[in-house]
Amino acid sequence: MNPGTILLALAFLSGVVSTALLTRSYLVDDDRYLSYVPKLTAGTAVLLVAALAHLTYQFVSLDYSNAYVWENTAAYLSVLYRVTGVYAANEGSVLLWASIVAVVALIAGVTRGFPTRRGKLVHALTIGVVTYFSAMLLLQSPFASVRTAFPNAPPGFTPTSGQGLNPLLVDPYMAIHPPVMFVSYALLTMPFAIGAAHFIALFRGDDGLFSTWVGSVTRWLRLGWLFLTAAVALGGLWSYTVLGWGGIWAWDPVETAILIPWLFLTATLHAVTNYRPGGRYRILAPAMTASVFALAVYTTSVVRSGVFRSIHSFADGGIGASFLVLMGVTTVLGVVLPLAYWAMTEESGDDTSGTEGTDESRLARWVTRSNLLHLAVLLFGLLTFVSLWGLSFPVLRSAMTGLEVSVESHYYNLWSLPLVLALLLLLGFYMDYDREGLRRSLAGLAVFGLATLVGAAVAPSETWRLASARPGDALIYQVIGNASALSVLPPVAYAILGTVKRTGGRIAATGSRDAKLKETGITLIHVGAALLVLSLPFMYLFAGQASVMATGVAAGAVDTSQRDVGTSSYDIRVLGYERSEFPNDPEPGTYALTSSQVLTRGQSLNTSVQTVHGTVTAIREGPRATVVQLDDSQVWVGIAGNGTVGVETGQEIVARGQVMWEFVPTADAIVLAGPETVGPADDPPDAAVPTRVIATGVSVAVYDDNGLVVSGVAGQREYPEQGGLQVRDVLIDRGPLVDTYVIAGVSDGTASMSVKRVPFMTLMRLSIVSLLVGMVLVLLFDPRHGVRTNSIAGYGESASSSQSRPEGVTEVSD
Amino acid sequence: MNPRKAMTIAFFAALLGIGYVSMNAAPVLSGEGYSHHGETRWQTDYADAVETAAAEDEPVVIYFWTTWCTYCEDYNQNHYSDPAVRSELDDFTKVAVNLDSDAEDATRLQQRYNVNYPPQHVIVTPDGEVLTRIPGYAPTEDFLTYLETAEERYQSGETADDGSVTTATAGPTSTPGSAAASTTEAAQ
Repeated sequence: MNPGTILLALAFLSGVVSTALLTRSYLVDDDRYLSYVPKLTAGTAVLLVAALAHLTYQFVSLDYSNAYVWENTAAYLSVLYRVTGVYAANEGSVLLWASIVAVVALIAGVTRGFPTRRGKLVHALTIGVVTYFSAMLLLQSPFASVRTAFPNAPPGFTPTSGQGLNPLLVDPYMAIHPPVMFVSYALLTMPFAIGAAHFIALFRGDDGLFSTWVGSVTRWLRLGWLFLTAAVALGGLWSYTVLGWGGIWAWDPVETAILIPWLFLTATLHAVTNYRPGGRYRILAPAMTASVFALAVYTTSVVRSGVFRSIHSFADGGIGASFLVLMGVTTVLGVVLPLAYWAMTEESGDDTSGTEGTDESRLARWVTRSNLLHLAVLLFGLLTFVSLWGLSFPVLRSAMTGLEVSVESHYYNLWSLPLVLALLLLLGFYMDYDREGLRRSLAGLAVFGLATLVGAAVAPSETWRLASARPGDALIYQVIGNASALSVLPPVAYAILGTVKRTGGRIAATGSRDAKLKETGITLIHVGAALLVLSLPFMYLFAGQASVMATGVAAGAVDTSQRDVGTSSYDIRVLGYERSEFPNDPEPGTYALTSSQVLTRGQSLNTSVQTVHGTVTAIREGPRATVVQLDDSQVWVGIAGNGTVGVETGQEIVARGQVMWEFVPTADAIVLAGPETVGPADDPPDAAVPTRVIATGVSVAVYDDNGLVVSGVAGQREYPEQGGLQVRDVLIDRGPLVDTYVIAGVSDGTASMSVKRVPFMTLMRLSIVSLLVGMVLVLLFDPRHGVRTNSIAGYGESASSSQSRPEGVTEVSD
Repeated sequence: MNPRKAMTIAFFAALLGIGYVSMNAAPVLSGEGYSHHGETRWQTDYADAVETAAAEDEPVVIYFWTTWCTYCEDYNQNHYSDPAVRSELDDFTKVAVNLDSDAEDATRLQQRYNVNYPPQHVIVTPDGEVLTRIPGYAPTEDFLTYLETAEERYQSGETADDGSVTTATAGPTSTPGSAAASTTEAAQ
């Protein structure tokens, strides 16, 4: 038992007790023992955060007695990347997730308390999730001893150097992306608990709690959306700079897995807007609220468990299997329960649209705001389905037929695009309809709809086609793939015009500052979304790339003449060659064993190649080799050759070679080194010091017709100790219209350089900022459910007021 | 009919339609021990392939790929559909290993040849000795040179020194695309 495991065990215990007490008090409606719950909740949160802090401390202090630390960090990394090593793999990221959920549960419990019976159920569910995570961590602990990796090592053994952080994660974006994502997933736990509790209450003959909690649900969902959007965006920008794709999205399973909850969360926000207590959406809105989290867990399981890669291997165990169980539980509570309730209750659906729009024509009965919103929810649902299905069907098909099929970006792009365009047209129409009335808005829709179809048919050049048709493609892909990107423009214009006109009118009409700000937020979100849709296809279709090779690139003089880059309008000039290695002169203790460590590990080191360090206490020269004693101990270093080694008594040395245990009668261990692998500790031989990173690159200047575009270093970093993995160091000029993106591969005196032109990146960045700022405004200033509104006005729904207030949001008290 | 109900029914119809069509339209990658890349057909069972290679006395090229790797897509389009490359590849036994696969065989090959990102080609003798390796993406010309180098080495009976990491000493410079997102889930 180490301190970390003890902290986790205690967190688990207090979680179990507090879940049990809350469940009991909900079931029998008896408040005895309930006073312990706040303390236990706080205890769980504090313990988990302490465990996280402990793990972080182990990372920073490089405590390799912990296997997880040993696997994910190394001495040469800066403190920032030692800290991010905490969530570099499964165990640590689950701990981070658990800690954040615990803190969210604590904040929710403290601010709202649990005055009502259903409130206790909600709290029981959130604490239940935390408890489950703690159990997962106990089963596959981030605090496991390093001896699990070295079963034969003697007690007290710790390795001298860590394995290092996955090179792809050595990036500032990766320092911030995972915490943001886990915050959003943790925030989604609350809506899940509320939604699930609602249906449990319904089944127990209650009328549910959604109507009284709708404000609180809205705030949790919005806050979750804010973080999830930021997380998706940060992940995309990371892949842009690190992976050298020259784009932000490639539909790999992990990316898709985070997009799915985002799409569904967006659908849910629209559904909750459409909710009327006792009226329409009384089942769908709570059901969707409950299932967002289930979906997040599902997608996490897909990418983590490994089960979905090959359906047969449940043997993986540990966290993979635990995610599957969690998936089952959340699916039952979040999806099956609502479905069952829906199936059991009489659907008196006819009253739903009765409240509005039944007056004139049949058409007017169809075109109501709530029906349009319903359509939006459905379209978002379909979009979610496309991504979800792409992630799932290869597995299904392979399980059913044994055939392995591929899901290409084709599939996602070509199905999603028509749906997205339909959504934008719908958005334009909804906004227009609200302002202009049925007849005029229908005319508008017809015009823009037609323009979209015409746009799809008109391709100014082949570049405009969405996908290059391949003979083997299914008909549907050929049809959509042949459409022109021009079709994107009318829906985007329609959506932006409609949104700005409607919210502009609303802003002018209202006198309340909060309402004005909320409408501004709504505008920013929808305009941002439209611009995002505009930027994405063009970014890929109009990206250009050209390459050039330069030879004779090495230290010293290089040919600095200006060269044409392929067929592009760019010129490039190689200014110099750079190469550096890390770490520089590390402490011997970070990579070499001391003589006492060698003796402790004893027999287990026999015949393995090791680096040792120590002070020379005796030298004996023989005819074919010199032997040197370290630290007056039973460890000797044998150096092949005849007296050519400049080693003196009293000197601190480093040596690398094969360890022979009880090889000669006079010493326990002898390290067989050569002249190349022995040297003084302050200037160790290259062969003995591990090189973790080799950065090679060229400093270049890139010009276009108007002069210098960008200059700097582009190249690659190689991690020889980590399978030779290479990471690009790209050079990016972020221009207002076009990003210039330089990739260089340098080896053996040759630099092959590619210059990519990626248009519309700035527009995309702006649209993301617009989405985020817009959501902050809506979250804070919505007159009905805003954080600020609720904190100043004693709102009807009792304590729901302040509970979703995020930290750092200043409360206005007047 | 209630408008919302009608829309919802249409929604489910669309959903089932998309699901059905896309599942059946997806290009078949593999089945019955083969997988297809571009216009080439690769074996998926290493043991079988080694037998073939030994019988035909030819080297084995092992291609490590994933479904989501963009450079693999480039290989499909630029290399495996190129007649010159295809005829050169005819002198090799081809094995494709999906890096996302959990199959024992695949994991063993990954570990043995120390492959942790796609795309990579490792060319080996039927005995498993490394002849050369192509880490990342190599343009068509370079790719051909690599294949020729491997072929020559095989004929002359030499192998790359150890096969640990980026050897390919005699090969031309490649531009390995480090499209290695294989571990992004770690940070997820």
